[in-house]
Amino acid sequence: MGRAEARSMGWKAEIEEIHRRRRLAEACGGPEAVARHHAGGKLTVRERIARVLDAASFREVGKLAGRGTYDANGALVKFEPAPYVMGIGRINGRPVAIGGEDYTIRAGTGFGSDRRKGGQGGFVEDLAYEYRIPLINLVDGTGGTVNTAKRKGYTVVPGYGQDGFERSVDLMEIVPVVSAVMGTVAGGPSARALLCHWSIMVRGQSQLFAAGPPVVERAFGMPITKEELGGAKIAADTAGTIDNVAESEEDCFEQIRRFLSYMPQNVWELPPEAPCNDAVDRCEDALADIVPRSSRQAYNMKKLVEMVADRDSIFEVQPAFGRAVITCLARMNGKVVGIIANNPMFGGIMDYKAARKQAHFVELCDMFNIPLVFFADIPGFLIGPESEANAMLREGVRARYVGLQVSVPVFTVIVRKCYGMAGGGVIDRRGLNFKIAWPSAEWGSLPLEGGVKAAYKREIENAPDPAQREREIEEELRRLASPFRTAEAFAVEDLIDPRETRPYLIHFIDALQARLKAQLGPRRKGGVRP
Amino acid sequence: MAMIEVKSEITGTVWQVKKRPGESVEEGDTLIVIESMKMEIPVITEDAGVVKEVRVKEKDPVAEGEVVAVIEG
Repeated sequence: MGRAEARSMGWKAEIEEIHRRRRLAEACGGPEAVARHHAGGKLTVRERIARVLDAASFREVGKLAGRGTYDANGALVKFEPAPYVMGIGRINGRPVAIGGEDYTIRAGTGFGSDRRKGGQGGFVEDLAYEYRIPLINLVDGTGGTVNTAKRKGYTVVPGYGQDGFERSVDLMEIVPVVSAVMGTVAGGPSARALLCHWSIMVRGQSQLFAAGPPVVERAFGMPITKEELGGAKIAADTAGTIDNVAESEEDCFEQIRRFLSYMPQNVWELPPEAPCNDAVDRCEDALADIVPRSSRQAYNMKKLVEMVADRDSIFEVQPAFGRAVITCLARMNGKVVGIIANNPMFGGIMDYKAARKQAHFVELCDMFNIPLVFFADIPGFLIGPESEANAMLREGVRARYVGLQVSVPVFTVIVRKCYGMAGGGVIDRRGLNFKIAWPSAEWGSLPLEGGVKAAYKREIENAPDPAQREREIEEELRRLASPFRTAEAFAVEDLIDPRETRPYLIHFIDALQARLKAQLGPRRKGGVRP
Repeated sequence: MAMIEVKSEITGTVWQVKKRPGESVEEGDTLIVIESMKMEIPVITEDAGVVKEVRVKEKDPVAEGEVVAVIEG
């Protein structure tokens, strides 16, 4: 080609080459690998990203990264895209950084570029960090491969190079990070899946473990399926390692969008307010008698919370783990609140799982300036040898410790029981110490039953009729335990008609927004602990 | 007609059996009451139908996730 001819063509050839290479990248691991992936009922990472984000809002970065093979003339004959797709897009109109492994290319294992394209550190995390926007990780990889040693010629200390999780930790203190476990995830990506503020997996499709069945079988001689080792029943329902479970990929994407709808873009912004189509002064009559008169009887706490919060605004976090406590994001007059409610259907007693769940949720809400509302019906910590062996005290005290570090306002609605060390954990001792009680409320350092015998042991034993004396003392103390006496002493700030709970709370939640605005910014180094 | 297994969500002891085989039930009805941690915890059916089978009797221990009744609905 003559110089004049080349000049007249401009950059057409190169521009066409860019478009050709983009098409090659869009083919993922090729038609066969994609068909195999689809046959397993899974979407490709590109399809996933398109569905999580607002329609046509994805702007990919690094689409040309990969491994090219060239012929003797320097023409590209083969191209394997990097097994990670990433970029920015929008969710409900707001920008987010998003990325995920491409399982159709060598099962999403790293491809060893100078700068990490994958999810463990690298560009997509830096993007979320520098722009202060949420990050979504669609995790579908199995981590390192022993092949790396062959390529490098030496082995490396863990945390070497670009995948040491430093940036992942930085993100935990400034922007919301969501992890979705989309397939079988082990090794580095399994850790990455946990370095987030909220995580989700798909039932029957996602599994998560430190090491998969072949490694476990080799170590313990125990054959086990991947679903038995790290399916939703273990990873989410039993261990609480992953927060929520979706029934399908579509459900998973919907839940990601829903979770982020409660989150600010970063810690320097308030959570987004939504229009409220529910009457602010809605007073549900059913609240007046939802709590049974017998304190032994359970009732539906979820229904109670639904009657107080804005209609259809509740999103439960960790619904299947630590079920003695319900933790949910919700709205009151359109403003985001974090609700923590003891669940009498599970005894309401705080076990080590419920304590861990509560502490994590409190930390999450505090970091993103979401005020907390407790609905308390808590008889105490779960006692007994098994509970002690599970470190009930450590988890319980940790929940209380976290509660004492919050900067967001906390309300306590004492619905029924509020006893002991666990009861102390639902109260805003650092702040306004604002507690409102229902007429069904009762409180103390421990419940009367049992407590009387312990405190008045000698007096009861020395009485002519010990059983009679015990009943008398119990009756005397029960009269003193009336919530009206505590309200008279202003030792509880208000005693309210349960039907007024919604308008009462909304008055204060509306009023505290100025306070939230005045304290924006990072809370503490490290942010929310995984 | 489907057979629906109703499970206890909590470990405890059967305190009361409220519905017997052959009885019709509505969604939200209490089938069995479990006593656990000094609380009466109802086992509720989420489906209407007819009780086909009650697998526990009073004072039986039950484990979390154990099927306590079967409803045909």
